[in-house]
Amino acid sequence: MLDVRDVVTAYGKIEALKGVTLSVAEGRITCLLGPNGAGKTTLMYSIAGILKPRRGRIALKDREITGRAPDQVVQAGVALVPENRLVFPQMSVRENLTAGAYLRRDRAGIAADMERMFQRFPRLKEREGQLAGTLSGGEQQMLSVARALMSRPRLLLMDEPSLGLAPLVVEEIFRIVTELNRDGTTIFLVEQNAHMALKVAHHFYLMEQGRVSFSGTPGEVEEAEVIQRAYLGSRRAD
Amino acid sequence: MEPHLVGVLTNIGMIAFVALSAYLLLLVGEISFGQQAFFGIGAYAAGIGTAVLDLPLGLALAIGAIAAAIGQLALALPTFRLRGLYFAMASLAFAEMMRIVLELTQFQVERDGELVGPNGAEGFRGIRYIFERGIEPAEFLLLVAALLAATLALLAVLERSRFGRRLRMVGEDELLAALSGIDVFRTKLAMAAAAGALAGLGGGLYAHASTYIEPRLFDVMLGVHSLAYGLIGGLGTALGPLLGVGLDIGLLESTQMFAGYRMIVFGGLVAVLLIWRPRGLLDERLLHRLARIGRR
Amino acid sequence: MAHDLAQNTVDGLMTGSAYAMLALGFTLIFGVMRRLNLSYGPSIMIGAYLGTLVHLQFGMGAAVVALVTVLGAVAAGFYVERLCFAPMRGQAATASMVASFAIWMQLEELATLLLPRHSYPFPALIARPPFEIAGILIRADRLLTLGAAIAAMLALWLLVHRSRFGLALRATARDRATARHLGIDVDRIGLIAFLGASALGGLAGMLVIAADQQITPMFGMWATFKGLVAMMLGGLGSIPGAVIGGLLLGVVEAHGQWFFGPQLRDLLVYALLFLCLVLRAGIGAGVPSAERRI
Repeated sequence: MLDVRDVVTAYGKIEALKGVTLSVAEGRITCLLGPNGAGKTTLMYSIAGILKPRRGRIALKDREITGRAPDQVVQAGVALVPENRLVFPQMSVRENLTAGAYLRRDRAGIAADMERMFQRFPRLKEREGQLAGTLSGGEQQMLSVARALMSRPRLLLMDEPSLGLAPLVVEEIFRIVTELNRDGTTIFLVEQNAHMALKVAHHFYLMEQGRVSFSGTPGEVEEAEVIQRAYLGSRRAD
Repeated sequence: MEPHLVGVLTNIGMIAFVALSAYLLLLVGEISFGQQAFFGIGAYAAGIGTAVLDLPLGLALAIGAIAAAIGQLALALPTFRLRGLYFAMASLAFAEMMRIVLELTQFQVERDGELVGPNGAEGFRGIRYIFERGIEPAEFLLLVAALLAATLALLAVLERSRFGRRLRMVGEDELLAALSGIDVFRTKLAMAAAAGALAGLGGGLYAHASTYIEPRLFDVMLGVHSLAYGLIGGLGTALGPLLGVGLDIGLLESTQMFAGYRMIVFGGLVAVLLIWRPRGLLDERLLHRLARIGRR
Repeated sequence: MAHDLAQNTVDGLMTGSAYAMLALGFTLIFGVMRRLNLSYGPSIMIGAYLGTLVHLQFGMGAAVVALVTVLGAVAAGFYVERLCFAPMRGQAATASMVASFAIWMQLEELATLLLPRHSYPFPALIARPPFEIAGILIRADRLLTLGAAIAAMLALWLLVHRSRFGLALRATARDRATARHLGIDVDRIGLIAFLGASALGGLAGMLVIAADQQITPMFGMWATFKGLVAMMLGGLGSIPGAVIGGLLLGVVEAHGQWFFGPQLRDLLVYALLFLCLVLRAGIGAGVPSAERRI
């Protein structure tokens, strides 16, 4: 579904991605592990068109999207749930969802999808008219996912969806990730919580210092010593 | 109507245009210290239009607005990728350059045995269109009010449109807006053109109301005031900047309330107001609440 | 010609050292708060007005006037911080800036209430004629400004890079949230940085005003402007940058004034500032391989 080949992205002279190659299989959940500063968010931004890679190639189903503007990438069927910056705070929950469907013109379809989101996230229905900035952290994360889904993406990118959330909320997020995937959405997930990720993802990559240093199935992850030590030996405090 | 009141209201109306232009840029997340430049460009261009080139007022005002819009785009193209303070300072540098250029500009022609047109730092005298045509101050006020009402109506329509939604998204979070499929840069350029045109229109009106303009009028004080009006009145609606101008010029400056220590009272009130409501009186939260009450 | 260039450069460096101090104060506040204090210059102006008042009412000499000026600037800075910066946290950076502008208006009016004439005499620190070194005229009070600036920069550099407080300051400037997690009282750090900046600005303003030997309410705007421009020329947010920006501004102004006169001098300065700002954007936007930030 998504093919990333030798992508180099730099901030000025500093290369945050030093030639990243990986692929995300259609219909699967792929998870990207790695320490802070490894370049995971930079990769997400490079795919979504926020950052322009210096070299390399990014293709979605054989269609090249390298260096496209973010709106064109959304049009091509990719949606990103970014880390931290989750919702438009001064807009209501409903307005946030409408914003997610900005590029779509099919009013009936948008209305139907909105109802589907409210079924999937009943708590958002309760808060429909409330300003998004007043929601709890978990609710904002749900809204952020729902907003991204409103563009009807074929590929959903999620940057650390469990960051800073309570364990119960994290479980709910991962339940939703599994459901979405079962309904046909391909998911590419950045996660530090390897324990949770192991329960849902089909394939893993490990990124360190701007490079992919490991690729394998959940079984291979549990075998790999490098990941054992860093991610599974003790649960990370954050 | 009493002449003093007519003058005050006309003043509020004209300054509201430049306050609105700063507000439009704030909506897309840009803080400008330089809107006075486009007010000035509009004033000079429209003034030259009627006083030097003998054009009708409407055409001169349109030329002023267009010239200011072009000026604002010329500033926006190289600077809109700058963030926060960088853009604010670039707009200030641009406006100061503009002011000095006006101080150096000589473009005078003889009309009825008298020199008219921009005369450098000495200013630009003899923009007498409304006096020569016998237009009463009250009539001119009507023109200002009609233009302002039309602008506010247009903005109200815009707020409810698809483009309005786009603006709000860009203003709240550029990154998230881009991720939702919006071309952020083009949205901001469109807004810049609109902001420039509004400031220019206000400037054109101002030149004709006062018959005399000089570069010094368009200094940074006007620019920072324009910015402040939006924050005082509220960023939730286009009525916010108008309310801000009304409070300052209408209530305090014109009524001689607190004469002698007006700024001490007003400055303190503004600071306290901003602690209480960082986005002004008519902020998004208040409007959201009003809208919900209205729906019930 | 060579002599003119040399004389202008020396004059420029001396004036520029005062700009550098003003820029340092701005940088300190902006670095820690990520907010612009437009009332920076007017706070200094209020200090100078209190100094003048002491001079006129009680006939105090230059040393007391200088002290009152600096303390007055710190007091005004305290007032601005408490009213415009401390109560506004989070996303309200624009509100802080506009509030500080409102307080600017307030301070300007306060100054004219204290002393209503347009300008007042301010006692000189050193009243002796300029002397000559290698054919270059040097004013003793300007030399004092340069010396004070160098001392202030060194002290500030040592404070920031060699002290425990400096560590907390740098941590706060880099990442407020993390600094808070480390147990740093970021609000207190902010207040201290603010007051330190006001003292530095008060010192710079006092030296400039004592050299001019007069004070007007316009000084507030002048100081805010020069400090801001110097800080931006130097690249926002670093101590060496502020110093270089200040000196550059002084030298460019001195040459501009000499060769082109005051109007073109200002035009030159603003064009330079504009270019500096835009080129920095160009590095991100123009080069195809570079980062593109929305």
